[in-house]
Amino acid sequence: MRKLWFGFLLVTVSLALVPLEAIAGQEGTAPNVKDKAQIEAAAALPSGRTGESPAAQAAPPQDVKPAGEVPAKPGALPSGRAGAAPAKKPPAIRTEPIVPAYQNIKERSAVRVFYVWLWLSIGVLLYFLRWWVQEADRVYRAKFYEPVESPRKDNPLPPLLGE
Amino acid sequence: MSARAVVNWFVDRLALKPILDYMHKKEIPQHHHTIWYYTGSSILLFLFIQIFTGILLALYYQPTLEGANASVGRIMTELPLGWLVRSIHSWSATFMIATVMIHMLAIWFTKSYRKPREVTWMTGFVLLVVSMMFGFTGYLLPWDDLSLAATKVGTNIPKAIPVVGTWVTQLLRGGDDVTGDTLTRFFIFHVCVLPLLVFAIMVIHILLVQKEGMSIPLKDEVEKKKLPWLPFWPNFILRETMIWLVLLGIVLTLSVLFAPSLDLSADLMAPAPEGVKPEWYFLFLFQTLKIFPANMGPVTGEFVAVVLILVVIMAIFFMPFLEAKPLGKRGKLVTYGGILGIIYAIAMSIWSLL
Repeated sequence: MRKLWFGFLLVTVSLALVPLEAIAGQEGTAPNVKDKAQIEAAAALPSGRTGESPAAQAAPPQDVKPAGEVPAKPGALPSGRAGAAPAKKPPAIRTEPIVPAYQNIKERSAVRVFYVWLWLSIGVLLYFLRWWVQEADRVYRAKFYEPVESPRKDNPLPPLLGE
Repeated sequence: MSARAVVNWFVDRLALKPILDYMHKKEIPQHHHTIWYYTGSSILLFLFIQIFTGILLALYYQPTLEGANASVGRIMTELPLGWLVRSIHSWSATFMIATVMIHMLAIWFTKSYRKPREVTWMTGFVLLVVSMMFGFTGYLLPWDDLSLAATKVGTNIPKAIPVVGTWVTQLLRGGDDVTGDTLTRFFIFHVCVLPLLVFAIMVIHILLVQKEGMSIPLKDEVEKKKLPWLPFWPNFILRETMIWLVLLGIVLTLSVLFAPSLDLSADLMAPAPEGVKPEWYFLFLFQTLKIFPANMGPVTGEFVAVVLILVVIMAIFFMPFLEAKPLGKRGKLVTYGGILGIIYAIAMSIWSLL
């Protein structure tokens, strides 16, 4: 049984370490990270986005501001408070569907870490919960636990799951 | 002050002692169908996930013609892990409806709807319908071409119902056609009306389950067989926790690997796109409507199909009264009917996808 649990943990952890794109096997269904150059370019943007359309990505490089340099809003006062209300910019019309993607390498790493942590903790919790179930059943079988006013005290004792 | 003292204070002030006593007394029968008991609690897990992720999405979603698609796009591209939250919401909805269906089929085949659990069955069936309504209203919210076309088809179906049909369609659409008003209306149904309905019915359902206790297999009941029992707390709860953990892992894994994409914003003036399909749990109904001819004598084919579907729905709803003797011939008929129904639904769904 211990070997089985060890195997389970090994499989879940190694599953998490396999690149997610490789598991999904097809573009457009799995979160995919753009190539390294795009990630680096996106990291230079204040928001760190990579989800723009190719047309937007091909925009002149002067649009790209160095990290940390946030462009001032039109009509903004030096104090940071807005003066006259700026005209509302109409939302840009998208020309292609949005494929779910990691916004940057940091988010990709966070999801990977979360994924490993998730399955690892599920495996560990299941391992301990199984002990706990066994102990609870043992206590019940030993009649340490008796439901108050139970009409079924004389019933046969329950078998354990998997026995 | 110890933690135990704090807990005791809350138990005392909130008068929780009767509930805790009840949980300690409650017992679960152990037999070869015990596994189906876990489906009921799994639905609760998915409902909790839906509420949590739904609240997160609602913080940024805009139920307007201009903002709906753009706000979902923003959730997916600008908010940290927004695409994952949306994906979890979508996958959890799928799992929830699938689990409700499995739960109902388990009740159907074990004939647990029999006396004295008639109302429990009926409230459970209403919960299934409400869950599907959640899916139907939620499908429109991203406001893309496919969801718009599917909603047009879906909201057009009630028109075939005699007398109230047109009124129901107008109530759903907020007018004669699917517009921005429909979107706002669906959003209100999705986040306000249906959740309230679910909570009200679920409370009744759970109270009835507690009142009548868990059903045991029909054969064991007839033979008056003494079954082993398991304490609900902690033995059953611990087993349940193990299943919850595995399900949570599966939902999160699928959400990461197969996150849904977002199509372009719907154009109200554009013709319906090709290959309009509803969500998987409506496929068999969709295909059923499609196979009926346009006219069947003096009435339309759609009218006949809708009336037939309504008759089947009512028959399922009133099942405990139609089939009061599960061991009789009618009981067997219900079992075979269930098997045929599953085969029909699967076959129609596959046909619809081809």
